[in-house]
Amino acid sequence: MRLSPRSLQGQMLLAVALALLAAQVIAGVFLYRAAAARAEAEVVNALAFQMIGDVRDPRARWRERGDERRGGFAQRRRALALSLIEDGLQGRRVRERDREQALADVLQSQGVDTEDLIVLAPIGPEERQRLRGGRPGNGTAIVIAGLRETGGESWRIAAHELPRFTGNPLRGVLIQTLILYVVLVGGLALLLRRITRPLAALTARVENFGGSTVDGPPLEPSGPDDTRRLIEAHGRMEARIAALLDEKDVMLGAIGHDLKTPLAALRVRIESVEDETERARMAATIEDITRSLDDILSLARVGRPSDPLERTDLAALVAGVVEEFEDMGEPVELVASERIAAPVRATWLRRAVRNLAGNALRYGGAARIVLAREGKQAVIRIEDDGPGIPEGQIAAMLEPFQRGEASRNRETGGAGLGLTLARAIADQHGGTLTLRNREGGASGLVAELRLPI
Amino acid sequence: MTETPVKLLLVDDEASLRQPLAEYLSRQGFAVIQAEDASRARSALLEDVPDLVLLDVMMPGEGGLSLCRHLVETRDLPVILLTAKGEATDRIVGLEIGADDYVVKPFEPRELVARIRSVLRRASRAVPAAADEDAGYAFDGWQLDPLKRRLTDPDGTVVPISTAEFRLLVAFLDHPRQVMDRDRLLDMVQGREAHLFDRAVDNQVSRLRRKIEADSRDPKLIQTVWGGGYRLACDVTRTAPAD
Repeated sequence: MRLSPRSLQGQMLLAVALALLAAQVIAGVFLYRAAAARAEAEVVNALAFQMIGDVRDPRARWRERGDERRGGFAQRRRALALSLIEDGLQGRRVRERDREQALADVLQSQGVDTEDLIVLAPIGPEERQRLRGGRPGNGTAIVIAGLRETGGESWRIAAHELPRFTGNPLRGVLIQTLILYVVLVGGLALLLRRITRPLAALTARVENFGGSTVDGPPLEPSGPDDTRRLIEAHGRMEARIAALLDEKDVMLGAIGHDLKTPLAALRVRIESVEDETERARMAATIEDITRSLDDILSLARVGRPSDPLERTDLAALVAGVVEEFEDMGEPVELVASERIAAPVRATWLRRAVRNLAGNALRYGGAARIVLAREGKQAVIRIEDDGPGIPEGQIAAMLEPFQRGEASRNRETGGAGLGLTLARAIADQHGGTLTLRNREGGASGLVAELRLPI
Repeated sequence: MTETPVKLLLVDDEASLRQPLAEYLSRQGFAVIQAEDASRARSALLEDVPDLVLLDVMMPGEGGLSLCRHLVETRDLPVILLTAKGEATDRIVGLEIGADDYVVKPFEPRELVARIRSVLRRASRAVPAAADEDAGYAFDGWQLDPLKRRLTDPDGTVVPISTAEFRLLVAFLDHPRQVMDRDRLLDMVQGREAHLFDRAVDNQVSRLRRKIEADSRDPKLIQTVWGGGYRLACDVTRTAPAD
């Protein structure tokens, strides 16, 4: 199974969806970066605020001394922070130069003179917990900074918990993307349907176009103007083709008439020939010409039958053909048959079966016919005991004017259109005709006519 | 042939066929009047009334079918159409507008003569009203349209039958529940000129049974009557001619 869609609608929708996704990803990246910068500024500002607040708010001096009221807890915190800062100064702990710079800028703008400024890399929740002697914290990282004013002795310490990253801005983008998808892709799908539905109807029409009158009225133009124009143009082309085919039928009718009338005249005239055998031979020749003419005219008309399909009892039809041969004393046998009703054109189908049985007789001496139901198909199988056809020539036998022998002698009769016509008739019914040699020792040809039931 | 010769009007625009056919038919003992188109045929009809008209379907000017309709409606003359087309629909149209029979060109002249005799014989027999002839038959759920020779089973499936089977079936349908012996059937089906054995009727009956009986070895519709003969074992109703 291929994953990339091939239809206009599928490709358009995929392209739009991908473009939309790309745009949303870019927007998401920008949003993320803006949010990150905002968070960073917040950290720096909070640290600066604490340090400056220490300077200006006397109540905050406990931070330096360790407040009595807050007891040993604040003192312990301060001692811990000081030891960490000491580690940072000694290079045993990573310092964040970017934040130090940013914090220095803020402090300078507020008029604080700095002697020493240090910002430690954030301390993760696990380390924090360890440093606090195993008491679990609230699961956030903390940034610790220290400041020594010019001339000052003690460190001012500020700590700020890093805001936990929640992905909020990205969730917004995701929701936005989903809404866009539903509205835009859904709307586009509806619009594309308007374009592609008439196209699909047109495709079906073109595929089924046989140039016959059963096609019904021309397709109603619908969809956008471009599609409309295509459908209208197709309608005009259909009309032209139908006119050409009509012309062909009229011409063939005229040819048939023009040739058959002199043949009829000839047939009447030979009645005055005295010699009986000579007359019989002439009659046979005229009959032969007539048969060939009929075959040619039929072949030209087979793709455009004038009669509709009718539910017909195939058993009766096949039996009828077999009986015709029986009446002429020919060894054509109906081996097996069952009652199957299928939509067929009886005159055409009878002709196909007659041709196949005639072929079997001509080349195989006898014909055995089986009518059976196989799944959703009716199978008419005609088998003979003749030499069969060399494997390589089977396909060629279905082409017009091909006959078993290289010589086109009249002895075997016909113009070599029998099989071609039979196959065309199978096509006309939406069925198939296949030829194959008999399997399992005995020679012979099997012609199989399959028709949808 | 001591009686007055049968008069035929032969209408065909092709002189190459008309003339030799007229000669041939004259040799067969018919009196033939020739006309090369419909208007001449009409004026010929004013002078002399033929017993039967042989009519080419495809002619310049007024076509054969139009003239045929005129002949059947106003003159009640038997008509045999000569047609170059072999398609079933063309034949049905011809029969529907009232032609008695048709031959497809090129025909065997002897067959044409046989058809002429057969049509004349039918015309001379006092037959029921023509409208009745076209009426359909309905029996045991089956339908038979005599014009189209179309037999459909109770499901509406077309069951193709041969001309001989059609005639045999019509013979049965015209005489439901009557015992029909072989001679009578042979007479109705083949006509007198056919010298066939009794077996031919049995053969046709068995073929017909194969097509219309649910089980042809245990026939319910066409029963064999002991002592020689057959009988249609159901009632028949006549229906209005299909469209």
